[in-house]
Amino acid sequence: MPGVLVYESVSKDYGSGIWSRRRVRALDGFTLSLEHGEIFGFLGPNGAGKTTAIHLALGFMRPSLGSGRLLGKPFGDAPTRRRVGFLAENVALYHRSAQELLKFYGALNGMRPHRLRLRCREVLRQVELEMEADRNVARFSRGMQQRIGLAQALINDPELLILDEPTSALDPLARVAMRELLLEVNRAGKTIFLSSHLLSEIELICHRVAILNKGRLIKIGKTDDLLVSRDRYEIIARGVAQDGFTRSRMLKDGRIELIVSADSQRDALQRVWAMGGEVLSVNPARRTLEEVFVELTNREDGG
Amino acid sequence: MKPVLLIAGNFLREHRWPVLILFAWIALTALAAADFGRGRVAPDDVVFYVQQQALYICVFSAFLAADAIHNERRSRRILLLLSKAVSRAEYLLAVILGTGAMAAAYAVMFALCGEWLTARAVLPSANLWPMTALIVAGSIVAATVAMFFSTFLNPYVATALTLGFFSAPAFLHAQRHRWSVWLPGLPILRQVVDFSFRAEWHMRGTAIAIALVQSVLFWVLAAAVFERRDIAVPVE
Repeated sequence: MPGVLVYESVSKDYGSGIWSRRRVRALDGFTLSLEHGEIFGFLGPNGAGKTTAIHLALGFMRPSLGSGRLLGKPFGDAPTRRRVGFLAENVALYHRSAQELLKFYGALNGMRPHRLRLRCREVLRQVELEMEADRNVARFSRGMQQRIGLAQALINDPELLILDEPTSALDPLARVAMRELLLEVNRAGKTIFLSSHLLSEIELICHRVAILNKGRLIKIGKTDDLLVSRDRYEIIARGVAQDGFTRSRMLKDGRIELIVSADSQRDALQRVWAMGGEVLSVNPARRTLEEVFVELTNREDGG
Repeated sequence: MKPVLLIAGNFLREHRWPVLILFAWIALTALAAADFGRGRVAPDDVVFYVQQQALYICVFSAFLAADAIHNERRSRRILLLLSKAVSRAEYLLAVILGTGAMAAAYAVMFALCGEWLTARAVLPSANLWPMTALIVAGSIVAATVAMFFSTFLNPYVATALTLGFFSAPAFLHAQRHRWSVWLPGLPILRQVVDFSFRAEWHMRGTAIAIALVQSVLFWVLAAAVFERRDIAVPVE
């Protein structure tokens, strides 16, 4: 099955000013393929080119080099966008009631009035704004606007949902609700392309992750694979003192967690046994996505 | 066609306040022309009123259309619109339709005020409604040309260029040439300048037809340019 969203060596240059001939490369030979039914996390520091990549897919801009396909059609094909839902970063909405707004966006995607009415009620319930259906979105808080933005992206029951920083304006409770909603949408067979700064969000829900820096893809892989360290191990032991181990942490019930490098793993185990302790488990150490992200971007930046 | 009508309706709705203000402006200028309802109105004042309003409506349409894309891009609302199954050509057509509808509403209000003024000036009003049709056609061609320029220029430059584009032939006496009939808006401009309430003044249907054909041509050109433009402002 071809990728739901495919970038083939896509580059994008911007002019740096009206009078300047200098070009800034926002995206550089970017190649990526999204598989059907996955939640794909798209990470990168500010200016990495994440939004540019999303805008190219939706046809808001044209690649300077390379090409891409959205649901099997070249980028920019208007009828294909009927099968896509999009939420922009800093969502900007027309000032009208939430219900009217959803009907407007749904009708633009060719939805029939009866289905639109039903779907409107459904998505307002999903984003927990059904009680606000008749209120003008101009009077909504930033978080509520973000949720109505997500509702308009879901209104046409899209096959592919492209979300650019969807949780940036949400409070922690609303973030949890959004996460649950995205998982529910994904369970219904939809593919989700999620760009976010909130690494914990990505870590919790994404099947695969790509990290972008200065327009270049620096890492792509399954989230679990990225988080598992190949060169560090986590030893859980009992009956030993914390002193004498450089990276250790006391856990409950007298257990201790030791983080050791692959080279010193044998040595650490022998020391535990020599101290009369008991080894409970040895596993590859798990890093946070934040650690992976910082390490990779620093390495790229020469830091 | 449905997305076009929806976006055009939305455009009208978004500009409802300027339209209402313009309605008040037309009524006020009509009142002023009638010396605030006192005495008989001079025929020349009514002719001046008609010509002035006709040009205002066309200029207003050019302003509105030139600013439309820029405003939507600046507010970033265009992103959600064009993330739906709407092509850029359809989007531009919707803006033209919205502007045309606004010009039509403006022109009808103008005609109603004109009726009132002609009654006070004891003038035949038969030429008013054909003039209204000319104004709507002139507004549409002005809006389309302004929108074409605004697809690749700043809206203020686009408006200035549009006004220059329409008025330059008149200053250059190009209207005396046979081919000048094909200059955008010129046949309509000529009819507005020559307007009178006398029976000799006739609206020429060809002027409207030419304006509409030119509007279609400029819409096609605008769509071709806009299709190649990056609409998303890099925010990163």
